[in-house]
Amino acid sequence: MPEIFIDGVAVAAKDGQTVMEAARDAGVYIPGFCWHPQLSVAGNCRLCMVEVEGETGGWMDIACNMPATRGMKVLTNSPRVRERRKVMLEMVLLNHPVDCGVCDKAGECMLQDYHYEHNGAPSVSTVPKVRATKFHDLSSRILLDNERCVLCSRCVRFTREVSRSHALGIVARGDHSLVRCDEKRSLDDDPYSDNVVDICPVGALLSRRFLYKSRVWYLQKTPSVCPGCERGCTIDLWHRKAEWRLNALDARHNTAIERVTPRENPAVNGPWICNKARDLPDLLERARAEGPMLKGRRVAMAEALAAARQLVEAARRPVALVSSWGSNEELAAAHAALAGRFRCHVKADHAPRPGERLADDLLIRPDKNPNGRRARELFGEAPPALEGADLVLAWGEGFDFADVPRGARTILLNAFLAPENGHADAFFATTLQTERAGHYTNFAGTVSAFTPICPAAPHTVDAEAVFAALAVRPRVSA
Amino acid sequence: MKHLIPEFEKLKRRYPAGFESSLVLPCLHRIQDDRGYVADEDVDGLCAWLGVPRIQVEEVLSYYTMFRRSPVGRWHVQVCRNVSCSMRGAERLIGHVCRRLGVEPGTTTADGRFTVSTVECLGSCGTAPVMVVNEAYHENMDAAKADALLEGLK
Amino acid sequence: MPGRALLMDFAVTPTSHRLADYRARGGYDALRKVLGTMKPEQVTKEVAASGILGHGGAAFPAGRKWQVIHLDDGQPHYLCANADEGEPGTFKDRWILEHAPHRLVESMAIAAYALQVRHAFVYIRGEFDLPYRRLQAAVDEAYEAGLLGERILGTDFSMDLVVHRGAGSYVCGEASGLLTSIEGRKGYPRNRPPRLTVKGLYQRPTVVNNVETLSNLSAILAMGADAFRRIGTPKSPGTQLVSISGHVARPGVYEVEFGYPVAKFIHEDCGGVLGGRALKCIVPGGISTKVLTGEEIAEVTYDHASFAKAGSGLGSGGMIVVAEGTCMVRLLQVMVRFYHHESCGQCTPCREGMGWMHRLVDGIVEGRGRPGDLERMELIAMANDGTTICGMGDACGYAVTGILAKYRDEFEHWIAQGRSKFDGRLEIGEPEAALA
Repeated sequence: MPEIFIDGVAVAAKDGQTVMEAARDAGVYIPGFCWHPQLSVAGNCRLCMVEVEGETGGWMDIACNMPATRGMKVLTNSPRVRERRKVMLEMVLLNHPVDCGVCDKAGECMLQDYHYEHNGAPSVSTVPKVRATKFHDLSSRILLDNERCVLCSRCVRFTREVSRSHALGIVARGDHSLVRCDEKRSLDDDPYSDNVVDICPVGALLSRRFLYKSRVWYLQKTPSVCPGCERGCTIDLWHRKAEWRLNALDARHNTAIERVTPRENPAVNGPWICNKARDLPDLLERARAEGPMLKGRRVAMAEALAAARQLVEAARRPVALVSSWGSNEELAAAHAALAGRFRCHVKADHAPRPGERLADDLLIRPDKNPNGRRARELFGEAPPALEGADLVLAWGEGFDFADVPRGARTILLNAFLAPENGHADAFFATTLQTERAGHYTNFAGTVSAFTPICPAAPHTVDAEAVFAALAVRPRVSA
Repeated sequence: MKHLIPEFEKLKRRYPAGFESSLVLPCLHRIQDDRGYVADEDVDGLCAWLGVPRIQVEEVLSYYTMFRRSPVGRWHVQVCRNVSCSMRGAERLIGHVCRRLGVEPGTTTADGRFTVSTVECLGSCGTAPVMVVNEAYHENMDAAKADALLEGLK
Repeated sequence: MPGRALLMDFAVTPTSHRLADYRARGGYDALRKVLGTMKPEQVTKEVAASGILGHGGAAFPAGRKWQVIHLDDGQPHYLCANADEGEPGTFKDRWILEHAPHRLVESMAIAAYALQVRHAFVYIRGEFDLPYRRLQAAVDEAYEAGLLGERILGTDFSMDLVVHRGAGSYVCGEASGLLTSIEGRKGYPRNRPPRLTVKGLYQRPTVVNNVETLSNLSAILAMGADAFRRIGTPKSPGTQLVSISGHVARPGVYEVEFGYPVAKFIHEDCGGVLGGRALKCIVPGGISTKVLTGEEIAEVTYDHASFAKAGSGLGSGGMIVVAEGTCMVRLLQVMVRFYHHESCGQCTPCREGMGWMHRLVDGIVEGRGRPGDLERMELIAMANDGTTICGMGDACGYAVTGILAKYRDEFEHWIAQGRSKFDGRLEIGEPEAALA
């Protein structure tokens, strides 16, 4: 544990730490583009230059590659350091288009922040800027603006060290260097590709999903959990701030998920998520089931609940198919209300989609449902079986009416619009994860919370409320 | 490129085992000697044989000035224009060669015989100016010697 | 001859580069002596005692570099000869490769023994066609004769020597860029730490020495460190192969004993300035060293201390002679064009600065110069001073500030008048010839 001094303050650095790491741990922020805690040290941006005091006048080097050694006296904000930062930002900005007005990164751009803090002056350059490719397709998901790129190589290192697709590289040399994808492939082959948009310190890598969708300062982020697989990555759902609510445009913008980013969580997903999480809006913003129905006829909630309760009371061999998308709270409610009365099986709401990566050693897990582990803990491992059932209660997606035994009655809970919703004897439109709070337990037993970003859709009901209403004591004969 | 694999296997034995990636440059040199440039299929074949990511070979090809991904003229005339050569008449020599062949530096004559390039320092400053035709150095050049040299290239 | 000779100690003939001729000159006797009578540590000690400094440009004591290698650390060590001679004005290593390749091979075998290296490399610049063929032929001859490969000269020592060609990148002449290139990637230099002697090629301890530095070893081991130290000056022992070019009557490679008077070397040994003109300045050791005017070199001797005192350095031994009347703006233009062309683009100040510098000087030459351009050039030099990974940005900065410090008026003239203070040419000769 070498003790070093950062700006005169004693700091206990961990063995093997660099000055950059020790400084961050001690709450001292040293600016830098290329350094990223999860990636190897590239040391190419040269912005993290610090001064080390020495007997012969001291020396300067980059903090990200400087081992913290006992007694070292580091200055992170000396006049020499400030002068170097200023001139380094002059260099970074030399061929940068400074088109923040149309750049999605504006507001969360490191270059913007650093320039504001450490330089702030207009460029002294008088020569034309080097032009480079704009809107270069790296994949169907990601665009590259080479003029904005500062060649920090974070994205390249990500594809080499984290996702290991080796898709990206830097071709040519000098001030004509370009980030490019392997000519024979596209970044689409990398299911983690969108992380490069997050780790890009500037607006060079752009998500098509988010392109020109919103200025980031109009958005707020709400903690959530990705339901895409049993990893249960913690994420942030970005949606419009209430104070910036739109009145004139399509009101759906006010509740839409504008983008999804990872919420760093060392216990589950580190700072990464896969592209499936980025596409959650596609999953969660599908057309919603419109309200309670009895055999396809819209009815009031009370009438539907009463009818469903009658079905339960009349049933002799009821079977429940429990959703592996239910939250811990919903599963507990289902268990309390149904387990004594129903034979319960856990259902996989979602199977892997064609072409979807099944599993890897980074994040992606084979079970494409977020809460299978907790569901099986409560309801057992037995696979769904409907033989002999005279009432089937199916909760969530992934249920096929063809499996229902002839003559059996059905109660269905689903959040989304589907033709078979009308086939059920009783149907309830349930709320979504984005409309209520709850927790999921991932495959390893780690519990993560999600919170609502918008009020529940009209005529929907929390599954817990349905289960509570259906809680009937076991028949005497049973 | 496949027919060169036996040669590459021999080359591989000279390098420490387990560092096949070191063969990228020597193999690309050999491929370029063979075909005149490095074609897409060569890149595919080399990556498959070496087990290195394609992007690594693409980076290498784009970074080093000697590698070409498209054919050049039968005679690739490279004239140095760095300090010592310029001090001994290279700028005039380049103008002369280009005028004689009717091309701009970096382009190929219409008949595909000559490609003229300017290069930076070939390590022949003591015998400047220098012209390299394909691999051969021609030193202490002037307009008359260049004429004689080009005349002899069919 | 400018002093005593260690490397150019024979007459070049059509066969002088071959093994038979080299052996007839006493070649490989030093290797036989080393393998037969010395322990590896003794060899390193002898090299350290010789005081030989690196001849590639940085002038770091070779022995000290070697002493970092722990022979008993249980990992493979590598040795690389840096034959990526690309510094403009430098062509001395080419002379060794073409005319004395066996001297390099023998010396590398000695170094490999001292450092307990199994695999040694020569990284030779790709453009060097004849030098490559000569060196590869020498290596083949040496294998054939049992001087390389298994059980060299019947001893327990075995080593392999690989000649690895570069492919056109100046930055690969920097030791870490060279190793990255051998590993089959772009020649991006690496950040230190770790030093290459700790983690170099394939992440193993590696010594990279210049061709000329290594080639001295057979002489040092043959004559002994004490005798070697008696050549040259106490602080710069030995000799330097100086490649001299530009406006000089007899350009070429000369072996100069350290301590030899520079003015005498230029004016007597090399025949003086071309066309009998006065000497304007010299670029002393490749374009990355600061220029010295004719007056400044009057008393200078050819050694590190004397050049440092004069405000420059010996660099890579590539001396360029510039005649009076030469336009320094044009000279700098060619230099910065080179740096721009060769910047690898890895780190910010060099990647952006070299292009900016080039465009600024082009602007001046094309009549678009503005007040403040020279200050901008100095700003770029400052931005690169000590901030780049490999030091190429620094080198450009030295070239620029060196020339601006002494010939600022020529730049101001061109900016103000829109034309050169002289005839704007780098070539000496009749102006009509330039127009033809």
